[in-house]
Amino acid sequence: MQIELRVYTGLEKYTGSRHGELIPVDICGTMTIADIMSLYNIPPAEVTSALVNGRHKELNYCLHDGDRVSLFPPVGGG
Amino acid sequence: MPKLLRINMSSQEAKFEDVSEKYLPLGGRALTSQLLFDEVPPQCNPLREFNKIVIAPGLLSGTNAPSSGRLSFGGKSPLTCGIKEANAGGICSQKIASLDIKAIVVEGMPKEKGTWIAKVSPSGAELFAANELAGKGTYEVTAILRERFGSKVGVICNGPAGEMMLAGAGIATNDGDGNSSRYAGRGGLGAVLGSKGLKAIVIDSPATFGAPVKHKERFMAAAKKFADILIQHPVTGTGLPQFGTNVLMNVISEAGALPVRNFSNVGRYEHANDVGGESLAAIATARGGKATHACHPGCVIRCSNAYPMPDGKVCSPVEYETAWAFGPNLDIKDLDIIAKLNYICNDAGLDTIEAGVALGVLMESGAIAFGDSQAAIAALSEVAQGTPAGRILGNGAAFTGKAYGVTRVPTVKGQGLPAYDPRSCKGQGVTYATSPMGADHTAGYAVTANILKVGGFVDPTKSEGQVELSRNLQVATAAIDATGLCLFVAFPVLDNPEGLPTIVEMLNAQYDLALTVDDVITLGKNILKTELAFNAGAGLSKADDRLPEFFYTDKLAPHNTVFDVSDAELDSVLER
Repeated sequence: MQIELRVYTGLEKYTGSRHGELIPVDICGTMTIADIMSLYNIPPAEVTSALVNGRHKELNYCLHDGDRVSLFPPVGGG
Repeated sequence: MPKLLRINMSSQEAKFEDVSEKYLPLGGRALTSQLLFDEVPPQCNPLREFNKIVIAPGLLSGTNAPSSGRLSFGGKSPLTCGIKEANAGGICSQKIASLDIKAIVVEGMPKEKGTWIAKVSPSGAELFAANELAGKGTYEVTAILRERFGSKVGVICNGPAGEMMLAGAGIATNDGDGNSSRYAGRGGLGAVLGSKGLKAIVIDSPATFGAPVKHKERFMAAAKKFADILIQHPVTGTGLPQFGTNVLMNVISEAGALPVRNFSNVGRYEHANDVGGESLAAIATARGGKATHACHPGCVIRCSNAYPMPDGKVCSPVEYETAWAFGPNLDIKDLDIIAKLNYICNDAGLDTIEAGVALGVLMESGAIAFGDSQAAIAALSEVAQGTPAGRILGNGAAFTGKAYGVTRVPTVKGQGLPAYDPRSCKGQGVTYATSPMGADHTAGYAVTANILKVGGFVDPTKSEGQVELSRNLQVATAAIDATGLCLFVAFPVLDNPEGLPTIVEMLNAQYDLALTVDDVITLGKNILKTELAFNAGAGLSKADDRLPEFFYTDKLAPHNTVFDVSDAELDSVLER
């Protein structure tokens, strides 16, 4: 099983990728968003919004094959 | 005692008068809306003698309160035909407040067509004939007036779009570097200024922080505390200074609420990352521009930027809503093109949001193709040239839709929708429908709780909770708009219970008052009541508090949602 991970706005320092770059991540049956973050040592306190297929989820959300996961620190504008 | 300056373009006089008791507790949007309600017949023709422009600094402007240099411009809008408050940063608010001027009112209409400028300084106010400035872009006008009156002056002006009285025309003010790019953009107030023949107002004030403060030590303590509150919140303290407002591009796209190709039925743009804040900051820095920049002195948030373009000019700022309007909305994925379109608007005197939505409608018609950057630049360049096609585009999205036979026109009360699709950001949709301002994203910025998890979380894809969210934000925003504080203070204020009490403490220390937080909420409600009453007098009704039809029928991917907040719910937002 595989998910699509994208990190933005400075979180890419943990993944060593470009912001927004697609990172395919192999997962097993019961992995959560928090588990993916531990793979890259992304501190939970630095992620305000975790979107799965465009919807906000808690970090203990269990992922499914093909999920599009995007992680953001606190951002704002208007 | 503060003064009111009236610039009467019928009698060609600039005169000061005392501020009456009634207006003393008001500032910013509270003052512009009340003065307009009292003095402008709501059914007047917005481009003739009975409309007025009211320019008012906020209650805290000109003090050491951090991020307090915003300026409110009010008038009857030729775009919405209702009341308008448009709000800009730049250096003029603090200068006007430091001259102890509560508001500048531009009224009347010259008998003969002509071009004038006004100058305000410690020694008074004068009106000058200025036919040599007619037809000039805002960058040139600002440079000429800074050369003539000193490099520290503030310049409020319109561009050729306003002189031609096009409804997409905004009013420009300058930053400390002289860029005429801080805009009171929305609602066509640049055309109202043009109808009165006033090309520019020069504000020559030696002081920036000279507004009177009654209890100075108490004020400074509260101002310091408020600065700490702003700096400690991650949005205002880190996110905005690092990446600017265009940091929103990626999160709005990932959330599926980014309007693409004139609000088509997809809410995500495959090239969002190339035109977002991270990319913009990297390019600006690499080219010797700025990724962080203050639009006015004393701002601790510094969310602005300076983007150097290939032709050697600098576009400062490039904001999210503009990057959206000329980017995903037109299927343009190149920040250099976006900045160029932004610069053209600044110079021509156009609201970038209205111009972008109008270009999207033009592309919808097939007259030019989505993604055709050169055609977009050529079409926008025609506005300042005054060609018939340019005049159509410069009159905004609704007018363009009519001219080109387009029915998929994203406007409310005639004003183009900014950068958030209401089908998957439903709280924002409620604000777009019900704000007295028309489709205005700042008037009740529900994106905070819908997508950014600031001030809680309200699921953007469901209709539950959106009415209350929009209502509370519209009230709070109206109150903040009266203070001269940048609306971005709302991020910490929504999350930090000490935020609003500290604003109240600053007001109490400055004016020797005993206001409570409840008084500030009441102020916000009263502003909205006044605006609704004006609009009712102007002939607007509940029927105008709706979104365009296609938002109710066309599902938006990836969430496959439509806007489904009911008419009854919309009517309950501001209790009409």
